[in-house]
Amino acid sequence: MKKSKLGYLFVLPATLHLALFALFPLAYSVYISFYKWNLLTSTKEWMGLANYAYAFQDSLFWRAMGNSLRYAALSVPMGMVAGLLVAVLVNQRLRGMAAFRTLFYIPAISSGVAISMLWIYMYLPQTGFINSVLGAIGIDNRTDFLQNEGTAMFALAFMSVWVGLGPKMVLYLAGLLSIPASLYEAADLDGATKARAFFRITLPMLAPTSFFVLITSTIGAIQVFTPVYIMTKGGPRESTEVVGYHLYVEAWSKFLIGIASAKSFVLLLVIVALSIVQFRLMRRQLEGHAVS
Amino acid sequence: MNSRHQRRAFAPHPVWAALAVLAFGGGCQPGPSQSTPILRVADWGGVADDNAFSKTVNRLQRRFEEQNPGTKLRFENAPGEYVPKMILNFVAGAGPDVMSVDASSAAVFINNGQLRDLRPFMAADPSFRPEDFWPNVMSVGAREKAIYTIPGDFTPMVLYYNKRLFDRARVPYPSGPMNFDQFLDLAKRLTLRDAKGNVTQYGFKFANWMPMWILFLWNNGGDVLSADGAHAGGALDSEENAQAIRYLVDLVRTHKVAPDLSQTAATGVDPFATGTAAMMISGHWELPGFETNPKVKVSDLGVTSVPSNLPQPVTVYYAKSFGIPTQSRSPEAAWKYLRYVTSREFQTEYQSTGIAVCGRKDVAAALGQDPLNRAFQRLIPSARAPWGAKVVGYDFVEQEGVKMMQSALLGAPPREALQQMAERVDAYFRVR
Repeated sequence: MKKSKLGYLFVLPATLHLALFALFPLAYSVYISFYKWNLLTSTKEWMGLANYAYAFQDSLFWRAMGNSLRYAALSVPMGMVAGLLVAVLVNQRLRGMAAFRTLFYIPAISSGVAISMLWIYMYLPQTGFINSVLGAIGIDNRTDFLQNEGTAMFALAFMSVWVGLGPKMVLYLAGLLSIPASLYEAADLDGATKARAFFRITLPMLAPTSFFVLITSTIGAIQVFTPVYIMTKGGPRESTEVVGYHLYVEAWSKFLIGIASAKSFVLLLVIVALSIVQFRLMRRQLEGHAVS
Repeated sequence: MNSRHQRRAFAPHPVWAALAVLAFGGGCQPGPSQSTPILRVADWGGVADDNAFSKTVNRLQRRFEEQNPGTKLRFENAPGEYVPKMILNFVAGAGPDVMSVDASSAAVFINNGQLRDLRPFMAADPSFRPEDFWPNVMSVGAREKAIYTIPGDFTPMVLYYNKRLFDRARVPYPSGPMNFDQFLDLAKRLTLRDAKGNVTQYGFKFANWMPMWILFLWNNGGDVLSADGAHAGGALDSEENAQAIRYLVDLVRTHKVAPDLSQTAATGVDPFATGTAAMMISGHWELPGFETNPKVKVSDLGVTSVPSNLPQPVTVYYAKSFGIPTQSRSPEAAWKYLRYVTSREFQTEYQSTGIAVCGRKDVAAALGQDPLNRAFQRLIPSARAPWGAKVVGYDFVEQEGVKMMQSALLGAPPREALQQMAERVDAYFRVR
């Protein structure tokens, strides 16, 4: 009994923090989602489900949702492949590898605003780094990546790969280190090539890690805000107006706090639904591997 | 029973309060002792690039503390997203004692009851004379008989021109108001090309910034909202506005007398400030930057009215005023500070930095000896307040304006782009 009391005492600060800064705001925003309120007035008008009805009928909200999914579809696979490749590279036993691992992680702990500003300059037509490289190899270097509807979303997703490389690398590295060396020794004895070992041992053994990375990356991608806010403001022509930025505009430009809250819960439903789909697909895949 | 019922908000809420504490470092706080209250002053200014400007401001603020022993000033600057940050502060019950109010967002605070009516303070202070201030700027904070803000300074938007670039193109300086056709002709003559056809000097710097290009709508007889500010449909989607937008798009795309947005992005610099565009529309706040600009000096600059197809050009003014929030814990001390920053003594020294046109007529007149300041002051009678001074949520209208212009620049028919914008604005106005 005494032991359990001590346990409760240990988790109390974290529980309080969670309750005050996560659960209470969450519950409060559910409450707000049924009202019309602009924050500054002393009264709130009861709207029932009208804010939710508005959310479902708002074409721009669904366009923003589609943009978020497009961003996730671009950034998550690229990020996972890059994270895995870098993890495999830094898993080599070479001198100075710890320094490389640190370098890859630095973007993840840097300011999102600073990184976004840096990439604005990277993407500048003619004078930007990317266009300079393209120009040096004879490719047209006047593309304004962030002002072009065809390239703006890809430019944001590409940047996110670089930013998210570190955390994905760490997760995959942990996964790689947990694969028993005996599996590779057995494959070696059987004459398997490195590539074959990678595809038949490494990738299947990393499936749980990949699943975790997929879920967390997808959720993170759908919630993206900072680079859009800093780099494109949702443009050009709303081609990068993702749902996180859309909610920000609803709340802080239009002061439609009730509608913004309702829309954020619709977003929550979408994320939960996506996660369930991913869980089911992954479970089926894992069960398939277990059987084979 | 009505299905829609009213409920009182339980603001200030602890969560909002906690967030505001994180953002602003706490609410009104006692000073080192009960006898030295801290007067919290909110402003959008950040760290100034201009060191001389910062020194002047600091010196003036220290003087207030010296003249009012026992009162300490605490500045809570929120550069960027000033309005949302202030709103969050108010929701938390941690509003400042004095706040700067921008004309373009004054309605958010005044119409939602966050500022005190200053008439009781004025009545108790016979030395305060409303007639010392420009009446049209004073009107930003006026609602019927109530007065919520006192002007600090302001600027009408003007057409700047670079005399050196005019000389280079052998074009005479503008001598008075010009219509759109004359402006286009001028911009064409100022656009210079090298032997290969590459532009070496543009006639005009175009920016997709609604406070700038709204002037072309106004000066073609159009407007963004209906006269009462209640809706955009029927006003924004007018033929006059479509013509004005088409005219602006043509400046960039057809006549190529202004760099397009990609070209501006390509250089990463302001074409007017670097001496590659001969004209731009902006406010007085640009001038301090030219004091230290190696490429364009203040002496290179001339100022005239914006192009207009109307008998009398119209412009907009952006003003900085001061108000006392209803949440102020020290309204008397706040009024004393407000009187100080709008005083002749303060403003004479403050405006010597060249930041804007003084809201006080006497100080403005004294500084009007300078030809540039005189040119600004000539335009004051034709300047009207931005819509945001009276309409809550105008910030959103300006954001939609940027999107609309972006669409038009990318090839959308101006009338359609304007209609889409009007629909969105009205949809927002219906639910705000």
